[in-house]
Amino acid sequence: MRTNYTEIELDALRELANIGAGTAATSLSGLLGIPIDVDVPTAAAMPLADAIDATGPAELCVTGVAIPLDGDLAGSALMLFPEEDVATLCGLLGLEPDSEYAASALGEVVNILCASYLGALSDMTGLQIELGPPEQVFDMLGAIMGSILAMSAGASDVALMLDSALIIEGQACSLSFLLIPSADGVDGLLAQLGLG
Amino acid sequence: MAEISVRMGELATSSDPRTGLVSIGLGSCIGLALVDASARVAGLAHVMLPGPTPAGSSRPPGTFADTGVQALLEAVLAAGARRMCLSAVIVGGAQMFGSAGKMQVGQRNEEAVRAAIRAVRIPIVAAETGGGSGRTIRVYLDDIRVTSRAAGGAEQILLGAMAVAA
Repeated sequence: MRTNYTEIELDALRELANIGAGTAATSLSGLLGIPIDVDVPTAAAMPLADAIDATGPAELCVTGVAIPLDGDLAGSALMLFPEEDVATLCGLLGLEPDSEYAASALGEVVNILCASYLGALSDMTGLQIELGPPEQVFDMLGAIMGSILAMSAGASDVALMLDSALIIEGQACSLSFLLIPSADGVDGLLAQLGLG
Repeated sequence: MAEISVRMGELATSSDPRTGLVSIGLGSCIGLALVDASARVAGLAHVMLPGPTPAGSSRPPGTFADTGVQALLEAVLAAGARRMCLSAVIVGGAQMFGSAGKMQVGQRNEEAVRAAIRAVRIPIVAAETGGGSGRTIRVYLDDIRVTSRAAGGAEQILLGAMAVAA
């Protein structure tokens, strides 16, 4: 049972996240027609309750879009959008935030980002990763994170999260792309990198 | 009034009227309150998984339904509650993701917590469970009240001083 990861392992995962996010940023840039920057990703393993706190205030209501992952990498990909980021994204897509198209457009944006991010991961590691359909909720951050973590909970109380920020140039908007592999999923990734 | 935040997998008790208990943002998790209104003692557990608890688990005491209910019961008794005066309130167990029927963690959590409470013969006097929305459970010790509130909704009293005194 893994409860912690070495700095070398976390560095390797950070590098994976960096390449995944870079590819996702290129896709998003093509979609929105403006430059997208990528921040240095964070990779951290922490107790589940701390993992929830790390994403923000538990009572904050946000839009969450989750994509279940299966195949050689089980887990979840998740993007959390505070209200102002939904408005910014919809504005760039030429949609009213409250329109019926906005919700499906948001799901599609996450779908595209997730497919490019995980496509890059798959190319690098040779892992076959299956993406489920995006599921979208508007709810408290704590409830969203708790439900996601409960679904991928392994035998230990530790969650590993890879967090990449996609920064939309010219807007005060930074989208966080979270990859939360299951415990087995992390081991699979590390094994493919020669660190298993 | 001060509040103790009971995070995922944790549990806590209070017998101080100025210190409430809260679990913010229960999704598929269950917030279980055990209350002795006459002794003015309450406990809250934030249960994450139905269990059964794996042997030798080193996870926080409220993580699993079976051991979580037992640990919370022992904690409220140690804090001065009397066994025969306890009432239970449960909140949460929503299905926020996995509409395809996969997992159903919320529903399984509720069933497991109900079974564990039945096993220790404590009445469940109120429940606000299921559905697709997250909730926050609050236990107020000043007037012995348990409330539930969904995201963006109003706070709903599930157990009040009057109801308990009756």
